[in-house]
Amino acid sequence: MTITLTINGKARGVDAAAGETLLEVLRREGFVGVKSGCESGDCGACAVLMNGRAVNSCLVLAATADGAEIVTVEGLADGDRLHPLQEAFLDEGAVQCGYCTPGMLISAADLLSRNPNPTDEEVREAISGNLCRCTGYTKQVSAIQQAAKRMRGGDDD
Amino acid sequence: MALHHVESVVHPATLEEAWAEKERRGKTARLVGGGIDVVLYSPSTVSTLIDLKALGLSRIRETATGIAIGATATMTEAIESPALKAYAGGFLVRVLREVASPLQRNLATIGGTIGSAHPWSDVIPALLVLDAKLAVYDGEERTIPLQAYLEGRRGEASPIICTIDLPSDSASSRGTLASFTRTGFDVALLNVACCGRVAGGTWEDVRIAIGGTPGLAARQGAAEDALIGNPATSGTIAAAANAAAGAIDARDDLRASAEYRRTLARVLVERCLTEIVSGTEGGAG
Repeated sequence: MTITLTINGKARGVDAAAGETLLEVLRREGFVGVKSGCESGDCGACAVLMNGRAVNSCLVLAATADGAEIVTVEGLADGDRLHPLQEAFLDEGAVQCGYCTPGMLISAADLLSRNPNPTDEEVREAISGNLCRCTGYTKQVSAIQQAAKRMRGGDDD
Repeated sequence: MALHHVESVVHPATLEEAWAEKERRGKTARLVGGGIDVVLYSPSTVSTLIDLKALGLSRIRETATGIAIGATATMTEAIESPALKAYAGGFLVRVLREVASPLQRNLATIGGTIGSAHPWSDVIPALLVLDAKLAVYDGEERTIPLQAYLEGRRGEASPIICTIDLPSDSASSRGTLASFTRTGFDVALLNVACCGRVAGGTWEDVRIAIGGTPGLAARQGAAEDALIGNPATSGTIAAAANAAAGAIDARDDLRASAEYRRTLARVLVERCLTEIVSGTEGGAG
């Protein structure tokens, strides 16, 4: 079947088998920043924004996402200009192997879109579905707070 | 990963169409809300998915008799609902915030959680003690208690859930859930939900449900009867906890023994009821 997805702002018709997941379809379409991890909704590496909410794309059947607006990690940057979250992850050294990073960024983008001034506890809750085996999450929390501050127009400290 | 047994996904626009598809396809069809359960657990006999999201059943609204939660409202939408935050001291919102991850809660629907009817569900016992009723459709619209839906849901004849109706009678009650897990990511070895109201030192109203026995959650009528109209003392609470522990259908499985589950039930019922009496309920787990 052909479904319509708006992926990173561009509407496109996409071929999908009835039982295929959104993760599989997005990666086949070239959005390989969407990582395939556990494929059971536990690790969060496959997170994308679907109609503005961060979801595990491995748990979404593509056919049920017909008509949805999808944002992958590739869609966060504005051309060559990185999203403040991406900048902050680089500045804070919040990336080691990097496999969890796309999903982590998507969960953080969802959080900051509706809560521009989160507490550390709220940040940790927001990324609680994104597993990172390299770090202790401290630098990611710090990076997300740094990005939030910059997006609010605050000084970089 | 791809579900190779799924051959088609249909998107009915009305309840009548959805029910007709379900009737026509029988066991080979599965109703889909958020879809998580289908992706993770659907049997290979399922070839058609009936997507309910086009039915317009995702609103959460206050009604003359309480709050109606649309079956395809997500857990996140329920958590963010001002009406539910104020209802029963925010009990259901607290429970939902402890379920799965934000990524999953953005997908998982309240109706889907009930329809999946997993014995380890923390949401189902919470809804049972809030005395939830379901508006369902199976060729005709009707309202049934959640407990009756759960008891009758085996087989393909299970109706389509339209709304989960929470009565205004429970709005001023207080509730708490104790879900006993080995790790933060694990499902409950056993869970207990209690909801009640104490007035003048007496139990005016109380409901108790226990899940993961390892069977599906169920109300504990004998324990409730032991409390209602009686003083809210440690003695009556202990008696009710013993009654509940003795009444559950506790069985052994690879996760815990029946004896362990009965001990858990007694301790957790006592803990939940004590929290309600002391007004210290506020954590979901």
